[in-house]
Amino acid sequence: MHQGQTLKVGLVLASPIIVYFAAFFLYPLLNLLQNAFTSTSGSFTLANFQSMLSDPILSVSLSNTAYYFVGSVALEYSVGFVVAVILYAYTGRLKSVFRTIIFLPLMVSPVVIGLMWLLILNTNYGPLDYILSPFGLGTVNWLGSQSLAMPSLILANTWEYSPFVFLIIYAGLQTVPPHLYEAASVDGLSRFETFRYITLPSIRPSIVVAFLLNAIGVLKGFDLIYVLTNGGPGFSTYILSFYTYVVGFSFFETHYAAAIALLFLAIIGTFVFAMLRFTSVEEYLGLRRGKGE
Amino acid sequence: MKGRNLLLIAILAVISLVYLFPIYWTVVTSLKTSTEVFTRPPVFFPSQITLSNFFVSVDVFRAVSQTAVGSIPWMIDSTIIAVLATLISTFLIAAPAAYALVRFIRNVWLARLILFMTMIPEAVFVVPFFIIDAKLGLLNTWWGLILVYISFSAPFSTWLLMGFFNDVPKSVEEAAQIDGLSPYQIFYRVSLRLVTPGIIAAVILSFISCWNELLYALVITFSPFPSGSQTVPLFLTSFIIVEKSFNWGGLAAAGIFTMLPTMIMGIFAQRYLARGLTLGSVKG
Repeated sequence: MHQGQTLKVGLVLASPIIVYFAAFFLYPLLNLLQNAFTSTSGSFTLANFQSMLSDPILSVSLSNTAYYFVGSVALEYSVGFVVAVILYAYTGRLKSVFRTIIFLPLMVSPVVIGLMWLLILNTNYGPLDYILSPFGLGTVNWLGSQSLAMPSLILANTWEYSPFVFLIIYAGLQTVPPHLYEAASVDGLSRFETFRYITLPSIRPSIVVAFLLNAIGVLKGFDLIYVLTNGGPGFSTYILSFYTYVVGFSFFETHYAAAIALLFLAIIGTFVFAMLRFTSVEEYLGLRRGKGE
Repeated sequence: MKGRNLLLIAILAVISLVYLFPIYWTVVTSLKTSTEVFTRPPVFFPSQITLSNFFVSVDVFRAVSQTAVGSIPWMIDSTIIAVLATLISTFLIAAPAAYALVRFIRNVWLARLILFMTMIPEAVFVVPFFIIDAKLGLLNTWWGLILVYISFSAPFSTWLLMGFFNDVPKSVEEAAQIDGLSPYQIFYRVSLRLVTPGIIAAVILSFISCWNELLYALVITFSPFPSGSQTVPLFLTSFIIVEKSFNWGGLAAAGIFTMLPTMIMGIFAQRYLARGLTLGSVKG
């Protein structure tokens, strides 16, 4: 096929997604911009952005988002990573059984996960209090206290998401060529040195991809908060996604919600841009190798 | 070596216990009698098992009593919405677009755009989508949700299928071209069939994410009465709001009952899903 025909076929096949792009991306984006830069009477204004600066709930939501983000990603990532390394070290027959069990939380709907943790974290009759009772904690109000609500959410979120990190890292570990390990043992490297100088560099793509996808998953989070704490107690578990929803659909301030949504989009955009710019994540996701260029 | 593996089995058993426990606890709670639900210390192994929690009535939506098993109409709505959104986004939008982007319009910026669209949180577009559905008169309808669900499932499936199409050897398509097939015939009859594992992964993951979606469902099918368009997560959240402090057995039963379809699907399709869940970074 010559050049012009190639383009024509491509455009015909891509025409549904072009329509999609206009209707489900450009139009909502323009709608957000239009709402964010107008008042309820429809005239141009910057008031929605000015009120962000003096909105105490927004600043609480932003710092909660940072707390939730750092706490969840740190815990999920380290748990998922360590579990992957442990399963990789094990060479017996139960491997696939363990793998399936660790995979299970990914198959449970987030609302049901919320429900499960509601039962587990309950103050008087929940099992977690009982399991921790030898440590002398007494009855703990996990979800009802300002200081513990967020850690409890992070705990539930870790159960949900660490298997995801596990999945990526574990798959990465399996791609390390065995001859590298043979060379390492010939050279007399210790187990730690082998891990540090052979394994880690080999699974660099998985390390970066797992971080990106884990981080995005955490920023998207909404369901667990809606079910477990509904933002409370007080505003202690308001994060950006939840606050956008509340402003739009409990306060019914559509224009202000649009401005907050744009801020949210800008934060996600900056994060993704930084990841693409400063890591090789595109290459690891197959972008330069195959898709495009 | 043997001793090391035994130690690892012990550690992995503890890890498995941690991942299994919330599921176990919910199953056990759904099977307990109400006296064993509210006891201190909590009962880990119930002495008596009952299925009555699955049939206890609860006022879920205003003046509408439901049982866990009574969630079946909601499951049917969820299924119809998820199936239609999945079919449209996978076969009508994603498959041809992915093929075009891999074979005909290779452009790194378009690929980046697709990737970015998979990462936009639902909360960002929830206001515009509500406004659009309201203008089109689609609030509280199937199509209101289907259209919105296509918004996240189409870029996801496109990105996933791009990876699969990219793995199809060009020589196969060149052979088909020599046989006289048009580019569209090659796409439809040759390449699309060669990426069947990708299609399976896209379809299942798209179905599960539509079935599980909460935020859009809350906003677009907000009616306090059953409207024939409300999905399972909405049923569950209203069940939770009503029953949070009283009927845990019923709550657990509703969670277990509604979780079964996607869970069974996911376990059987496990080997197809790893690659999809990780946006194509995990192969095999």
